[in-house]
Amino acid sequence: MDPNQTLAPFIRASNSVFKQMFDLEISKGQVQSEGDTFISQGFTVMVGLTGKWNGWFFLDMTQATAIKLAQIMTGEEYDTAANEEVLLAGGEVANIISGNAITDINNLQPGLNIRLSPPSIFTGEGMSMFNVRLNACSVLFQTEAGNIKINVVMKEAN
Amino acid sequence: MRGLHKDGSAIRVMAVDDSPVTRKMIKKALEPKGFEIVGEAGNGRDAINLYNKIKPDVITMDITMPIMDGLEAALAIKKLNPQQKIIMLSAMSDQDLVAKAKSWGINYFCPKPFKPDEMADIVIKVTNS
Repeated sequence: MDPNQTLAPFIRASNSVFKQMFDLEISKGQVQSEGDTFISQGFTVMVGLTGKWNGWFFLDMTQATAIKLAQIMTGEEYDTAANEEVLLAGGEVANIISGNAITDINNLQPGLNIRLSPPSIFTGEGMSMFNVRLNACSVLFQTEAGNIKINVVMKEAN
Repeated sequence: MRGLHKDGSAIRVMAVDDSPVTRKMIKKALEPKGFEIVGEAGNGRDAINLYNKIKPDVITMDITMPIMDGLEAALAIKKLNPQQKIIMLSAMSDQDLVAKAKSWGINYFCPKPFKPDEMADIVIKVTNS
């Protein structure tokens, strides 16, 4: 699968989800080189993709942005990104973006039958994740709530 | 108030989702409009147990959940009561999944994300269907 072909549904889904869920306009995605190390802004959600193609979707933002998004979703105030509801809210946003994107991919290529695994959420300053299968390019979006970065890795299952 | 039956009683909703945040969003979307959230469950098995106790008018049911998924739980509830109104909520809505849900008698398939007003409209539509 062409990496650009893989990335496009996730870019469309990110645009649509941020607009629908948060009423946030997001900038046209800016491609950013990552190499084989993904540098976190402080709050990263990873969703596993399984099926005839498998891999991961990463949604990354600062902890302040994660708090803002959770506040919009629940109407509650939070003072730390380590709050369980902030973590779960981030997981749900990543789950919805990846679910919407995978729906597009499955509909365009019936038989791939890609499904999602539950999100894993990581928080911490200065985190970097190394993965030799990582897509060399992330896409960075600017929003009123802060910068959002996505990365998608998909390869044919062995 | 939109979330009321013609006799003035509240439309009773059970929210089933493994994410407490999503359940909170459903409550936030429905309670201010007069709907009553009469029960919540975090997986399909708990949903079936709770359903037998509270018999809601409408169930909102996530698909991907631990222990028992939403499609399996919805099928079990439809076997207990074929008239039960069920709205499936899912971040994934590919044609295969929607077709399977419809063939099992699911009343409405709502892709996530949902807007609060849309959720209220869908619950009313399904209640009156």
